[in-house]
Amino acid sequence: MSNWLQNMPTAEAYGLNKVLFELHHKPDDLAAYLGDKEAYLDRFALTGRARAAIRDNDVAALYLAGANPYLLRAHCIGMKIPEPVSVGALKALAGKN
Amino acid sequence: MAEIVAIHAASHTPVMLNFPDAIAASEREEIFAGFRAMGAAIAAARPQALIVLSDDHVHNFFLNNLPALCIGAAPQYPTPVEHWLKAEKRILPGDAALGAYLLSRLMESDFDPALSMELTLDHGVLAPLELAGVARDIPLVPILINCVQPPLPTMRRCHAFGVALGRALRTYPALERVAILATGGISHDLATPRMGMVNEAFDREFLRLLEAGDAAGVVKYSTEHVHEAGNGAEEIRMWLAAMGAADGAHFHRHYYRAVPNWYTGIGIGEWKA
Repeated sequence: MSNWLQNMPTAEAYGLNKVLFELHHKPDDLAAYLGDKEAYLDRFALTGRARAAIRDNDVAALYLAGANPYLLRAHCIGMKIPEPVSVGALKALAGKN
Repeated sequence: MAEIVAIHAASHTPVMLNFPDAIAASEREEIFAGFRAMGAAIAAARPQALIVLSDDHVHNFFLNNLPALCIGAAPQYPTPVEHWLKAEKRILPGDAALGAYLLSRLMESDFDPALSMELTLDHGVLAPLELAGVARDIPLVPILINCVQPPLPTMRRCHAFGVALGRALRTYPALERVAILATGGISHDLATPRMGMVNEAFDREFLRLLEAGDAAGVVKYSTEHVHEAGNGAEEIRMWLAAMGAADGAHFHRHYYRAVPNWYTGIGIGEWKA
């Protein structure tokens, strides 16, 4: 049992986490993202599955791809993903790994 | 020379501010009363500066540059950094001179804290200060321990850092009265399939070991069992640092409740000579 899915982020996770970080810390980024998700995501080096997970608000896929838990949690709140949806998606993974 | 006139520890969670109504009013009021009592005790000790041992939840630091330990040395700290946190934007006073002194003294003690002269503090500092009612009054020195992205500093190292921090504070010539607030934990888990888990048995044993004053026992238990208590429980590092700074003072548990609907085991306590 570990508190951490990745003890060191993979390169894929780094790119994904960079999006989650910049979206909620750079002043204009969240509006730009919400205005045109694909154009915003083009700014980053992302794997296909990381890009899709972000675009689709796929909380389980974000977790599995190595999103830092604090960045993922903040992203869920910042994107106003309802608690039952975000927490439910994570809990549905229990026992599958 | 400064005296450490108060050392407190308390949990923090953004849920306290964002979704307080996720728990029953009676439970919430009991917890808030515990924080107010802590604030009253801090105020009654009349500290001229408050060291806040906490963690940065990936707001000031990112994976491009992530210090294991960071000491703030700024005259003021804007807060909160989270655009989604339900908290009034304000600027908290800082004690830059004390931060600078601690950086130098801890370097001389063979620790290697990063320095920061500009931090926008997050809920990990703001939430407990806000609930305690001491968010505006006392100049702060934030000390941020990485609990949020492995590799993490060891529990042993965090306790030893606290010992050195306490020694450094007691040699500070420019103030007479300083206080410490350690904040984080106890058990909780965020954004994993275990989210919502609270490990009450872990929390109670952790608090029992603190009350027993068994530093080696607390370090060993924390190291061996933290993975049973969730990624948020990694924040007990701040409690271990406070224990080190307390230099043998006795820990008193003032409050504990497992609060699954706030996703957190909420603990409040203090070290008193």
